[in-house]
Amino acid sequence: MRYPPEHARRQFLFQAGGGFGGLAFAHLLGGEELQTERPLSDLNGGIHHRAKVRRVVQLFMNGGASQMDTFDHKPQLTKRHGENIDFGIKAAATSTPGSIMKSPFKFKQYGDSGRWVSSVFPKVAGLVDDLAFLMAMRSKTNVHGPASYLQNTGFISPGFPCTGAWISYGLGQLSDDVPAFVVLPDPKGLPYNNGGNFSAAFLPAAHQGVLIKPNAAVPIANLEPPEFAHDVTKASEAAGLELLERLNRQHLEARSGDSRLESRIRSYELAAKMQVSAPQMLDLAGETMATHSAYGLDNEVTAPFGRNCLTARRMLERGVRFVQVWSGAGGAAQNWDNHGDIPNELPFIAGQVDQPIAALLRDLKQRGMFEDTLIVWTTEFGRMPFTQGSTGRDHNGGTFVTWLAGAGIKGGTSYGQSDDFAYQTAENTTWSYDLHATMLHLLGIDHTRLTYRHNGIDRRLTDVHGHVIDAVLA
Amino acid sequence: MPRSTWVVCAVLLLLTLSVRSSHLLGAESAIRFDHDVRPILAARCFKCHGSDKTEGGLTLADRASALAALETSKRAVVPGDPAHSELLQRITSDDPEYRMPPSGPALTEQEIEVLRNWITTGADWPVHWAWRPLEQPLTGGSAAAPIAWEESPVDAFILSVLKEQELVPSIPADRRTLLRRVYFDLLGLPPTYAEIVAFAADIRPDAYQRVVDRLLANPRYGERWARHWMDIVHYAETHGHDQDRPREHAWRYRDYLIDSFNQDKPYARFVQEQIAGDAMFPGSTEAIIATGFLATGSWDESSLQSIQEDSIDRKIARYIDRDDIVTTVMSTFASSSAHCARCHDHKFDPISQREYYSLQAVFAAIDKADRTFESDPQIAQQRAELVAALASLPARGKQVDASLLTNEIQQQAEIWSQGLLQKLDRWVPVRVKQLKSDNTTELKLLEDGSVLASGVAPEKDVYTIEFETTQRQVSGLRLEVLTHESLPMNGPGRQPNGNLHLNDLRLWLLGPNDNNTRLKLIKPMADFNQGGWSIEKSIDGNPATAWGIHPEVGKPHQAVFSLDTPLDFMTRPTLRVELHQVHGMSHLIGCFRFATTAVPGDLSTEQPPISPGLIQIIRKPRGHRTDAEKAALAEAYLKPQLQTELDSLPPPSMVYCGTNQFTAIGTFRPAEKPRVVNVLHRGDVQQPREEALPGALSVIPGLNGDFSGASSDNEGHRRVALARWMTDPTNGLTWRSIANRLWHYHFGRGLVDTPNDFGRMGSAPTHPQLLDWLASEMRDVETQGKASSSAMKHIHRLLVTSSTYRQSADNDPQAAKIDAENRLLWRMHRRRLDAESIRDAVLLISGHLNTQMGGQSVRQFNESPSNHVTPNVDYLNFDVNAPANHRRSVYRFVFRTLPDPFMDALDCPDAAQLTPKRNTSLTALQALAMLNDKLIVRQSQWIAAREHMRPLEDQVKAIYLTIFGRPPAADETQVVCNYVAEFGLANACRMLLNTNEFLFID
Repeated sequence: MRYPPEHARRQFLFQAGGGFGGLAFAHLLGGEELQTERPLSDLNGGIHHRAKVRRVVQLFMNGGASQMDTFDHKPQLTKRHGENIDFGIKAAATSTPGSIMKSPFKFKQYGDSGRWVSSVFPKVAGLVDDLAFLMAMRSKTNVHGPASYLQNTGFISPGFPCTGAWISYGLGQLSDDVPAFVVLPDPKGLPYNNGGNFSAAFLPAAHQGVLIKPNAAVPIANLEPPEFAHDVTKASEAAGLELLERLNRQHLEARSGDSRLESRIRSYELAAKMQVSAPQMLDLAGETMATHSAYGLDNEVTAPFGRNCLTARRMLERGVRFVQVWSGAGGAAQNWDNHGDIPNELPFIAGQVDQPIAALLRDLKQRGMFEDTLIVWTTEFGRMPFTQGSTGRDHNGGTFVTWLAGAGIKGGTSYGQSDDFAYQTAENTTWSYDLHATMLHLLGIDHTRLTYRHNGIDRRLTDVHGHVIDAVLA
Repeated sequence: MPRSTWVVCAVLLLLTLSVRSSHLLGAESAIRFDHDVRPILAARCFKCHGSDKTEGGLTLADRASALAALETSKRAVVPGDPAHSELLQRITSDDPEYRMPPSGPALTEQEIEVLRNWITTGADWPVHWAWRPLEQPLTGGSAAAPIAWEESPVDAFILSVLKEQELVPSIPADRRTLLRRVYFDLLGLPPTYAEIVAFAADIRPDAYQRVVDRLLANPRYGERWARHWMDIVHYAETHGHDQDRPREHAWRYRDYLIDSFNQDKPYARFVQEQIAGDAMFPGSTEAIIATGFLATGSWDESSLQSIQEDSIDRKIARYIDRDDIVTTVMSTFASSSAHCARCHDHKFDPISQREYYSLQAVFAAIDKADRTFESDPQIAQQRAELVAALASLPARGKQVDASLLTNEIQQQAEIWSQGLLQKLDRWVPVRVKQLKSDNTTELKLLEDGSVLASGVAPEKDVYTIEFETTQRQVSGLRLEVLTHESLPMNGPGRQPNGNLHLNDLRLWLLGPNDNNTRLKLIKPMADFNQGGWSIEKSIDGNPATAWGIHPEVGKPHQAVFSLDTPLDFMTRPTLRVELHQVHGMSHLIGCFRFATTAVPGDLSTEQPPISPGLIQIIRKPRGHRTDAEKAALAEAYLKPQLQTELDSLPPPSMVYCGTNQFTAIGTFRPAEKPRVVNVLHRGDVQQPREEALPGALSVIPGLNGDFSGASSDNEGHRRVALARWMTDPTNGLTWRSIANRLWHYHFGRGLVDTPNDFGRMGSAPTHPQLLDWLASEMRDVETQGKASSSAMKHIHRLLVTSSTYRQSADNDPQAAKIDAENRLLWRMHRRRLDAESIRDAVLLISGHLNTQMGGQSVRQFNESPSNHVTPNVDYLNFDVNAPANHRRSVYRFVFRTLPDPFMDALDCPDAAQLTPKRNTSLTALQALAMLNDKLIVRQSQWIAAREHMRPLEDQVKAIYLTIFGRPPAADETQVVCNYVAEFGLANACRMLLNTNEFLFID
């Protein structure tokens, strides 16, 4: 009897495309245990069926964007403003329920689809016919930590791989000189859960989100030697890598048959390539003045998020598969967690992203990238129809809004409805599982078949749930 | 035992082995129940006939139930007789009414054939290997100094399987390779060149055994193996989740692990201490610290502490937190995936949902929190005496304690009380004339002169208070914030957590015709300041800062201010105070009172701790006091003295652990008795079913998993019952689990490749008999005292001295054709160094490793407050030369959601999940980390600095010796010299640290 390798998976490697030839480099893509299937060119890069999307940009509004003050227009709130309505709960997450509060913002209908949008998103409003709205998203929890985990990983506890990591695990890299999965945090700080939101968890570390801070003194950790490495020069590095390869090859000669040793040699070649390509992704100097101003880089309010949106586009162009752009840091202020003062806090934060998001959508369309790029705008939960304090709103996992745009998406549509107060979902409730199933579906992945065994269970991004939301697909 | 006897034993052993193994492997060609039959039953039958389903009287739980008579008195399975086996009749029937399964397609012919064959050959239905009773497969004992393959039981098992596959073991590794292997394995550090030379030259037959004994006695051993254990139990020092708060007292558990490994603690005791040490071994401090194990996992501070107590999210979080504890306990010690039965019965293993919730019930009173414990018995006794003395003081009752009435005490009390009186009279309450809120707050003057806020609590407010002083001179103002039962947490604030934030306090002197003067306040002082929210902030004019009192809520506080220019009037002045409270989220003062003083000079917040009743007593002339009053006075005098003495004792130690002995923080309170745990339908807290009683699994034959006898209200009994269940000699899971973990870390891969899952979905053992032999050896060493040392080091010694371990790691293409992954161990596995070993080895090589043991973890980052609970953590700008960088990696402070990028790139787990085995990835980002991380760059410079004065060739030789433990070959000297000549020695060191030769262990 023979003992075949338990993971016969290794035989299926990314042999086509992306410059990754051969078995030996399996480790570079994900360590010892690899995803069973490989992207197939006759499935347009999908692994289970034909893909419509090759790359994704997710815009995550950290803190819980208020649905009834942005996209979920509720006249009933205006009518019953100030009334005390018993919703049957003694306590919201951080307060006791106050009276009904109407949205302080004007709503108008836009586009052929007649979508209602409030005055906090004037520029995105102009593009509603490109967007498909999930109007009845629901969360299992009303607390930032678990809710952010749920939206990112499909679980309310820490320790599960996030969407970007799963996609990297499932599909690998589009290009070998840039990472598959990049995270651009709000320059003010990391979101609730910090790196927990973009962790590869038990998937191999190669699938972890690479944290890039375009504005920081050191945008990518360890891309370049530290300042005190005075003796490191371009020449010393080139010769050093040559020396290293020579020593490693000599070492390998006596140890043939160990593909990991070969992979490590190769990893230094890729590292050198990344050192060249990564700064190029971040260098916005080559972009036109018109582009700079379209993204709002000439305005200090919109510049931080705008720079991240423009950088995201450059990353997608260069083969990053999944870019996650965050608005808002964790903490009591300057994010979407508007407990205290919706009339002031929400326009403040929405004003930072409205123009950059509209510019990103237009830019992607103009460059033909809408054809294979999915854009997802989302948050961890919504907010309450009643007041917290005088004009704030508390957390509400009962209903919130997400929108999708780009490849495979039927623009101008919506799916699901909340109740008259936007307190709970009322019709066609969708969960993170459904959103994730839909994202994977568009990438050519059957969400029930993308699994990884950990601690006794075959884990999935969608746990044991998830339905593809056909209603918003083109 | 004489040598000849050993040989005889070994031959016997081999004979027995080959017989048993061939039986084992022979069975594989026939139908195997778990492999072939069970999947069909699971897919098509279990839905109606699973472990606790009995449709038509048929339960397919085990062989007995499958063979039992049905309602129809037929039998589903009659071994050897397919024609009379109802199961087969049903699945092959054409009658849709009769056919099974009733819905979905019929079984395929192939599936039917499998079941028919299975029944024909006797319907074997073996108990899954992991749950079988543990018996040592062979007698023979362990050799003290095995040299040849045949002499060690470990090798005999390995060799017999190799022979069956026509494989032969590899030649032994050379001494340098072996020494490097065993050093990293046991210590996590490389040998020095001198140690390699000495070992190579040691011709004594037991040279290697001597090395192993030396390493096992080295304290670095405990550090190395504690770090493995920290992976298994997902130890880190922050909460995880969005409020990722540092745990200041978690490190004691890490030190406990290191000590336990170093002192070779018996494994059963090690397990018991971690599950229930506090209850099983009262009086043992290390047993209390051991329960840090229960609190290694994440903790959702938002849901369990910050949010509203009666929200649904609090309830969900409690179950999830206990799930973490249950998962950690069962995965760590029993390699059981019991946690898979949270939403439904386990799909593959006989573990019911009810059993899962029984495990939750074991921990029903446990929370993760800081508890105190006494580490010094002498101080513990002093503290106990003082506490008792204090407790006996209010001996008032009907009988007055005569000892309080002695002249001496009364004299002292009198002097003391007169001093108090002076202090008391310093502050004179004001007369409130007018109260106003800018928002919805209703302010009401109470009888004692305090003001209570009620009505709808707004987000923000400004209170304006006008008052008249009763003094003509005013040099200071006192603000008392007071508790009141109407306030959340009893106040003194109105924020749901009892806090308040006073952003700005403004004082005006009111003159005629609105001619008001703002008075400048200086020298603010408060009896308590919230971290980052001190009293100075209330007069700094900055509305973004404030004075706060969290977490000291539920008690009164006071702040005093001096007037820059004291007032001195002919008439009593009218003053106005504005209390600006604009932080938001109802950080408002709930109850307060003002007083003024005429006494100039430095004011203090010292508050005589006396009640209004006592004030009356003090004001009475001494002769007019009753005995009861005298006693009360003496008590008031003595109490603070005892209290001061008590306070001056060093505080008790703290450890972050699983406990119900902790101080409440807001609504996060200890459970006085076990909380009610329900079986949750589909794992949903909104669908509770029957109450779960404490218990464990019933899967181990002969081991009772029902603890309902230990139920009661004593939470400790529940955990003790589980600890006993876990360490029972009949619980083969526990012993197999640890034996496999030891194998896993020594060989790079477990005999069972899923160290946390010994269930049916886990891997099967490659060498089941070897595993059982090791497991029972370990158990019997402990229970029967079979070896001189305790079980752990005994097994370490057996494994690392085996010939299997000492083989070369070189490849053999012929052998690789048969067993490419080397699962049968025809050679040693080559391994990449783990993150900690890389870091520690580099420090050792550079001469900068600080081997100081224990204590608070070193934070290898700059930490600063953020606007959230989680601080800002900056690895990038942390001083690379800081002494904290030189400690061993096991002492690093591991921040769950903000991991160190260098360690992260090298696959160091972030402790969000249990890590029974590490991934070893090889990525471009990892290459960049090894090249450019400042630690590597700086240590390279330091290695170079030590050698740079010598001639070039000697320099290169020196760095080869320190980094690789060997001299360079001639061609290596040549190329490296060339490189050094042009780019310097430090660059060369850095490249050598990046080589595969350094990063892999052969």
